[in-house]
Amino acid sequence: MRAILGLLTLLVLGLVFFVVPPAEGLGYYVRLAFFHIPVAWVAVLAFFISAFEGGRFLQKGEMLADAKSAAAAQLGFFFVILATVSGAVFSKLTWGAYWNWDPRQTTIFVLLLIYGAYLTLRGAMPAGRRRAKAAAVYALFSFLTVPFLVFIIPRLYFSLHPSPVINGSGLAMDTVMLAVLMAALVDVTGIFYGLYKWQTKRLLAEGENV
Amino acid sequence: MKSSLWPGIKLVFVKEVTLGLRFKAAWAAMLMFALTTLACVSMALQGAPLEPKLAAALLWIILFFASMAGADRSFVDEDMAGTLSTLKLYGAAQMVLWGKLLYTGFLLLCLTVFITPLFLLLTGAEVVLGGVFMGTLLFGTIGISAAGTLIAALTCGAQVKSGLFSILMLPVILPVFLPAIFLTAGALGGGSAPLSYLVGMALYDGVLLMGASVLFDYLWYED
Amino acid sequence: MITIEFSEVSQSFHGRQIFGPLTVKLHSGRITAVTGFNGSGKSTFLKLAGHLLLPTKGEVTVSADDGVLRQAALRERLAMVTPELRFYDRLTARENMDFFLGLRGISLTDAAYRQLLERVELSAKAAHAAYTGEFSTGMRQRLKMAVLLAAQADIWLLDEPGANLDEAGRAMVAREVRAAARQNVLVALATNDPGEEALADEIIALAGD
Repeated sequence: MRAILGLLTLLVLGLVFFVVPPAEGLGYYVRLAFFHIPVAWVAVLAFFISAFEGGRFLQKGEMLADAKSAAAAQLGFFFVILATVSGAVFSKLTWGAYWNWDPRQTTIFVLLLIYGAYLTLRGAMPAGRRRAKAAAVYALFSFLTVPFLVFIIPRLYFSLHPSPVINGSGLAMDTVMLAVLMAALVDVTGIFYGLYKWQTKRLLAEGENV
Repeated sequence: MKSSLWPGIKLVFVKEVTLGLRFKAAWAAMLMFALTTLACVSMALQGAPLEPKLAAALLWIILFFASMAGADRSFVDEDMAGTLSTLKLYGAAQMVLWGKLLYTGFLLLCLTVFITPLFLLLTGAEVVLGGVFMGTLLFGTIGISAAGTLIAALTCGAQVKSGLFSILMLPVILPVFLPAIFLTAGALGGGSAPLSYLVGMALYDGVLLMGASVLFDYLWYED
Repeated sequence: MITIEFSEVSQSFHGRQIFGPLTVKLHSGRITAVTGFNGSGKSTFLKLAGHLLLPTKGEVTVSADDGVLRQAALRERLAMVTPELRFYDRLTARENMDFFLGLRGISLTDAAYRQLLERVELSAKAAHAAYTGEFSTGMRQRLKMAVLLAAQADIWLLDEPGANLDEAGRAMVAREVRAAARQNVLVALATNDPGEEALADEIIALAGD
């Protein structure tokens, strides 16, 4: 698994730096997108996993689900920071400002706040069932904001993002770019999955000593 | 011995009101905190005219932080007094949740009624669309009460409490907060105030109320 | 008929095992005393029995004739007297009772209320005029007993019910516990008091670690 991911990472890096042509209007800055988009995707994916495993904990009461939920949130926090920073840099390079409360920036920022709040809550409680329960309840409660993030924010804020990224109507994506982007998505998701497994195991082992 | 829900909710609500009336310090502290926040903002402005958008943002920031000081006590106080375990033993989850939620809503409504006229007076902002303004304040209050009651129950087992409540509240309440600011700006004469936003707020309030109700059971019962 | 069954239950806090593994069964109509030195987990045992705490390992099953009791269904049939339970300091005894019993759907007439106070030997004047915050510990203990008696519960979990009571008070507790067991209530009693131990049909001695 590790070897495959390593190879895939090298391949994606090679493609991004040597094969992908400069995009219209963006030039070589477009390379950053192959990092930014997958990282942002994983940040959102981790949020879903964290809430899902939180729900599983409330249903079954297994500490494994709590460890999974926590691991997803911890990694999600890390990835959401990467996404925010890479997004800000990308934004500065292309639109001239680090931050302009574009809908996606707002969404990712809310996600950052949620992850931060979830991890603060965990940090503030002693390990055990009560913490697991409180954390799971918060993961699910904060999940209620999703419809808002998806449907309302885009109306509240004017967007500079190329809207449907994948179909290429905004950012002129040719087949090569799309293929590389897909490879990058698979690669980063794979890396996340590996880290997630590893972190879950670690948290579970820690929990048993408590 | 089957106890029905509504009388239980009423009992919890009346109990909260009675305790609130007998221990006025909590109310006084909350209102004074609100007044302090308001004074802070209006003094910093030094009477400079406010654009509706800015006025709306300031009003909601004041309301948010003032409510944070009022809404977070509902379970922590009982936990510290030792009455929470008695309440857990005798009260069913939904009675306690809805009773406390109603009381928090009542508290915040009083707070809003106290702050808003003063705010308008001090900043010279004028309400153009009264109905929208009232509706926004009402839905905002309901949303904060719903989220606040659940999160107050959530944080009451935490060892570090200061600030935790607000940290957990903000992301969850943003979907109420942002449209509220937008609508308030419209009501103060700064741009449009589409009714769909008001509907959106009401819907989200409903989602929060339902979410709080479903999730509270898990916090109330260990098994 | 209610039973509380502990199967292979053990409880640990912060990696330290408090007790267990423990396998016992408690029956309605019987008084079970839980004994052991301080820190042996007597109070924990009661919390586990009432599902107010989940065991680290093993399972506690409370069953009635109509099936296994959990959550609200279990709480509704539970009453406790423990040092941890507190009443609202700024409500009178009557208001406290009306509130907690009201949550269970029980309302007391004035006559029933007076009778109850007499049973636990609490002066009606004090109970009416003063906030419970002004009560002595002994009076509070009597008030807890009053709520317990009025709650019509099928399961009594008592943690040192005689603590802070004078001789007459302890005799009252003993009388009521015996009477409850005759009414087919399941009584679990955590105690180190030889007098209270003597009430028990069964004794579970927790050794601790």
